Amino acid sequence: MERKAPTTWKWLWVHHDGAAFAVQSRLHPGTGHRGPSGGLSLKLVHGEGSRRRGLLTGWQCGTMEPDGASSDQTEPRSAENKTHFKVTRFIMEAGVKLGLRPIPVATACTIYHRFFQATVAPAPYDPYLVAMAALYLAGKVEEQHLRTRDIINVSHRYLHPQSEPLELDSHFWELRDSIVQCELLMLRVLGFRVSFQHPHKYLLHYLLSLKQWTNRHSWERTPVSAAAWALLQDSYHGGLCLRYLPQHVAVAVLHLALQCYGAEVPAHTEAERPWWEVFSEDLTKAQIDQIVLDLIQIYTLDAEIS
Amino acid sequence: MDRDLLRQALGCHGPALLSLLRTEQRDNPDFRGLLPPGGPSPESLRGGPHPPAARKERRIDNIEIQHFIAKKADLLFALSWKPNASADLESNEENEDYYAVMPPLEQFMEVPSEDRRELFFRDIERGDVVIGRISSIREFGFFMVLICLGSGVIREISQLEITALCPLRDVPSHSSHGDPLSYYQTGDIIQAAIKDIDRYHEKLTVSLHSSALPPNLANTKLGVISSEELPLHYRRSVEVASTSETYEKVLHHSLGFANPSVVEFLLGKLGLSESSPPSLMRGLQSKNFNEEDFAFALRKKQSASWALKCVKIGVDYFKVGRHVEAMNEYNKALEIDAQNVEALVARGALYATKESLNKAIDDFEVALENCPTHRNARKYLCQTLVERGGQLEEEDKLLNAESYYKKALTLDETFKEAEDALLKLHKHMQVILYFLLTLFIKIQALIKTVGSGKLFTGYCVLFL
Repeated sequence: MERKAPTTWKWLWVHHDGAAFAVQSRLHPGTGHRGPSGGLSLKLVHGEGSRRRGLLTGWQCGTMEPDGASSDQTEPRSAENKTHFKVTRFIMEAGVKLGLRPIPVATACTIYHRFFQATVAPAPYDPYLVAMAALYLAGKVEEQHLRTRDIINVSHRYLHPQSEPLELDSHFWELRDSIVQCELLMLRVLGFRVSFQHPHKYLLHYLLSLKQWTNRHSWERTPVSAAAWALLQDSYHGGLCLRYLPQHVAVAVLHLALQCYGAEVPAHTEAERPWWEVFSEDLTKAQIDQIVLDLIQIYTLDAEIS
Repeated sequence: MDRDLLRQALGCHGPALLSLLRTEQRDNPDFRGLLPPGGPSPESLRGGPHPPAARKERRIDNIEIQHFIAKKADLLFALSWKPNASADLESNEENEDYYAVMPPLEQFMEVPSEDRRELFFRDIERGDVVIGRISSIREFGFFMVLICLGSGVIREISQLEITALCPLRDVPSHSSHGDPLSYYQTGDIIQAAIKDIDRYHEKLTVSLHSSALPPNLANTKLGVISSEELPLHYRRSVEVASTSETYEKVLHHSLGFANPSVVEFLLGKLGLSESSPPSLMRGLQSKNFNEEDFAFALRKKQSASWALKCVKIGVDYFKVGRHVEAMNEYNKALEIDAQNVEALVARGALYATKESLNKAIDDFEVALENCPTHRNARKYLCQTLVERGGQLEEEDKLLNAESYYKKALTLDETFKEAEDALLKLHKHMQVILYFLLTLFIKIQALIKTVGSGKLFTGYCVLFL
């Protein structure tokens, strides 16, 4: 395998028994990581044997550089985090514009984060294409099916504001092809495990239980539910979903929301067990604080970027 | 900006938050009014002194959180975030199928009974539905020991031994005479509405009249209920008391937890919006999103543009006389965008050329509905209507023809051809009418003459 692939080869798929396919992608020069206007049309152009697309099993996706090439992890890591932040922002905004419900949006973000966690950094995949494919896949997983045409329209408009919708030409069909191919790639990278437990259900039940326990007037006055919900959805900008259990994230978010308004759970100090332990037995205060700090970090990242 | 909320937050976090707020929100006009530079000392509104030790312990984590609160204060304390009050007014039914109905939280927290009692009497309101067992019946009413609540806040009160009195006048009578209290027995489970509360003396008065219920719960049945009708949260809490399961286990065992639409249902119950979700990120405030960027609007625009391309190709075919291909293109365009005005007008013109006038008229009418200002649609419609009228006139369906001409004229008063055609038609009809009229008179005269027996004169009249 040559060390430095020709510039048009962007992905190298290596079968576990050594056969290699190289996939050609066409990127408009100068667009760098800009999204689907560059497009990544995958065409299997070179193969050993007669394996064409559709019969891929046991693939590993990797980059051209051999492992351990990049020694300095911190610089690219923070640049990566910023990219992921921006792209998850795109996922969430596109989710609203496509009318996606909160759970599919969360699934899309989780798929996106997991994909980039599973691939070796720096990955040569166009993050916006991955995001579009994540939205498409999440819509299917959570039974709120999206049409690729809508995804393409919204993304194109997001990346090129005020532009006209795309015409039905070969460019459009290539984009559509890219999304579908990328979706297959993502499924393989994630081992077809794309169904996740999200904190949302837990948080809503906790909120309901808490609502019954507090005085109804102070509950109406204090928008704890809205704040907690906002915090939970915003948490998907970072990788909290990957690192912590859904119940723990839900409790931490609720804790932060209560702290923001200076509200306290009634009889909190007199009770035998604190309320967060009730909701999730193996959770400690230290863990909650850690999650809250991580969450606040995400917001500081937002301030840095904008 | 909500002053009370702000004061509450300040009261909890102390003066450090106040100074942070001043620096972060300096430019925010709403805050300048609330936080004068001198600064009031933050009063704690929540009653009871904070033990100073507890405050100090939280201080270390709090700095990060306080920074966060200060930065996001304009979003957190904005008035637009008030939970939707109408969510509460929906029926309080605990439907197990939609979400997991949980026993009261304090049962898991194991709150001591004095605190539970105190909080119960603080939070109970008039109009709440309570369920209890009759403990004794007197001549002035009956006493019942409360076992659970049926609406409003849900609490665990069965061990607290709270009694309530239902006076005689609040017991509806079940028969026209006799003592209404004779209907009830000790040990009956009763569902009643709270009528009066004496919080200081911890005394409750209940009523069995539905007038004591708030309007949204007016359908609740008051009076004797069976143990199957006890609310689900109470039955669950009894189970938990015996098996001492954890909250999480109860949650996972509930069927409602696995409901795929549990999130949507609970969002509605809690009053949170799904279509414009709240967010604390400045860039994600959904009120800033442009309507034109949404998928639906983009799709419409795109469909219109794609359909127009097909129409153009179709028109080119039409001009060289390839009508079949042109029709195909128009149909394709209408499949992409069923209400596309240009496609409808073009197809209508094609139908008119092929003499399928009715289909043409239908297409033009739909086009005109969608876009009443389309000049071509109007013009072609008028022309086709007149043409159709002419066809009908030739078939002697004169009244039909007249209606078509009149319709054309209502669409376009200046349409000369329609006017002329209408005049001609009227003249035609006049002639016929005149003919019919004379015939009628002649027949009348004939009848008269026949009646009077003069046949010959009758025949003469007829042939005149």
